[in-house]
Amino acid sequence: MSDKTFSDSVSASVAMAPAETARPGGAWALLVSELTVLFRRRRTWALLLALAAVPVLIAVAVRLSSQAPTTGRGPPFLDQVTQNGLFVAVTGLIVSIPLFLPLTVGVVAGDTIAGEAGLGTLRYLLAAPAGRVWLLVVKYIGAAVFCLAATFTVVTAGVLAGLALFPVGPLTLLSGDTISLAESFLRAVLIAGYVTVSLLGLSAIGLFFSTLTVVPVGAMAATIVLSVVAQVLDSLPQLDWLHPWLFSHYWLDFADLLRQPIDFTSFGTNALLQGGYLLVFGALAYGRFVTKDILS
Amino acid sequence: MSRIWLKWMPAVAVPAVIAVGVLAVPLQAGATVDLPDKSPQDVLELAAGSTVDTFSGTLEQTSDLGLPEIPSTGDAAAAEFSDALDLLTGSHTVRVYQNGADQSRVQVQDTMSERNLIQNGSDLWLYDSADNTAAHTTLPAAGEQSAEKPGETYTPSDLAEKFLADVSPSTEVTLAENTQVAGRTAYELVLTPNTDDTLVGSVSIAVDSETGLPLRVQVDARNADEPAISVAFTTLSLDAPPADLFAFTPPAGATVTEETLPTKDDAGHPEGEASGVTVTGAGWDAVVVIPAGEDAAALAELTASPLYSQLTDAVDGGRALSTTLVSVLIADDGRVFAGSVPVQRLQAAAAQE
Repeated sequence: MSDKTFSDSVSASVAMAPAETARPGGAWALLVSELTVLFRRRRTWALLLALAAVPVLIAVAVRLSSQAPTTGRGPPFLDQVTQNGLFVAVTGLIVSIPLFLPLTVGVVAGDTIAGEAGLGTLRYLLAAPAGRVWLLVVKYIGAAVFCLAATFTVVTAGVLAGLALFPVGPLTLLSGDTISLAESFLRAVLIAGYVTVSLLGLSAIGLFFSTLTVVPVGAMAATIVLSVVAQVLDSLPQLDWLHPWLFSHYWLDFADLLRQPIDFTSFGTNALLQGGYLLVFGALAYGRFVTKDILS
Repeated sequence: MSRIWLKWMPAVAVPAVIAVGVLAVPLQAGATVDLPDKSPQDVLELAAGSTVDTFSGTLEQTSDLGLPEIPSTGDAAAAEFSDALDLLTGSHTVRVYQNGADQSRVQVQDTMSERNLIQNGSDLWLYDSADNTAAHTTLPAAGEQSAEKPGETYTPSDLAEKFLADVSPSTEVTLAENTQVAGRTAYELVLTPNTDDTLVGSVSIAVDSETGLPLRVQVDARNADEPAISVAFTTLSLDAPPADLFAFTPPAGATVTEETLPTKDDAGHPEGEASGVTVTGAGWDAVVVIPAGEDAAALAELTASPLYSQLTDAVDGGRALSTTLVSVLIADDGRVFAGSVPVQRLQAAAAQE
């Protein structure tokens, strides 16, 4: 009963003092503290280390193997790795996209609200005069920054492993044209950006699931399972009318950034789709979170 | 209570707005296009008189021939066979760059690979990134090429008249509602066969109202809802593409082969004279007959493929491959019949001869 009155008084104070205008300093402090907490957690570093291991393992395996990878076997671009180490980053991304990246993003996004609720710290966060909406936004920004960190971890680890173990030179694009090393790094950054954007929809879904429960593992598992289900649906030809609407549909289309001239069509389509997911699940999370009784 | 309801409003409103947006965009594209009235002959003249030879654009090609899905895994022979069928099933995005008559580049985009055909003057390159191979040939000089063309020259209106005269007994040429392709307004020519014996329902060609460039070609089958074959521009720019697109050097590490174009002398069947390939009938319901023994090796290889029995059905007198647009009958005696006609007509043709 006392919890009930406490949460009521919190929402009342939130309604009276929207902090974004009243105390911008406090609002930014919340964002800074969220990011600090996120990147101080050992779990975050463990997730990033696991992601970095993927391209490193690929590079070491190809380097130690006596026979060169044959064309058409294994993940795409694997046969190019021995000729140009930069392809380690691309192959690492292709291998990570179906499972490892959604897994880590699911863990972080599913933990956003439910984790605080589970620890009993959510009501203290809301006691700060920042407001529920801003807390939701801060939590989402945290998850999005993790998407960026996760993707760049894979790409950076891939580039470093490639530099260490293989010759690196001008890059051959899918169109057969060759681009300079500097432009190759630019394309690598663009690809990392593409994959980051690809994960924003899933982060929004994770945020919504996280508002539904006080058990963080539940929200994490639901997010990860949904990302697998979306990919399974995407592979069924009978459902091809549904495919353009699945958040995972354009995940691997970053290959368009390796064409000459560079093709931004899939980048735009993907960004639009992820934006749609962000709006829909952001609105759902808002509806759930601002009407929720915060008991813990 | 009402305050809670208000807070769920965005969760209802956002999907609703997105749904309206998704539904409104195709409606807008399908809005009627106002263009000066023209007769089919005028539109044919417009198309024949088109002088556009510099553009860059994206083509979307889809085929729906009612073939079963080809499994993508399998042995090498099956893979080769399904490569050939690849263009007949599914959809492709193709980027096309054309600069004048002698510079062009065609890029067929696959998921993680790309096939390129680049013509730069007399150099012709074919590059496939999937297996990192490049093939080069030298085209005959331009003078030689034009010598092979018929000496007569036609004005656009001659061509339009000649085309109409050629097709008129078997085909009705009409104009459909004006349409919009790749953001450009277009007249739509529709060729409808006058016979019921063909599988082709109609062929429609969208002709750019400004330049006469064909923007979309669509073949509808008589018994299918979806177009059997459709090739359409999704983007089109009439500006000159960057010149460095056409200068191609094979990348380091690629397997490069040099090939020579078959000249008329060493081509197997000059002008179809020596070959036994015959065509019975004319117009839409024509049947092509390849006699037994012709290309026997290729046929044997084809029939040995495990996909052969998957794709064809046993019918009276042989095995038939039937799609919504084309039927092929491989008779037991080795003859091959093909045409845009039902299998029954092919069987009748096989029984006649």
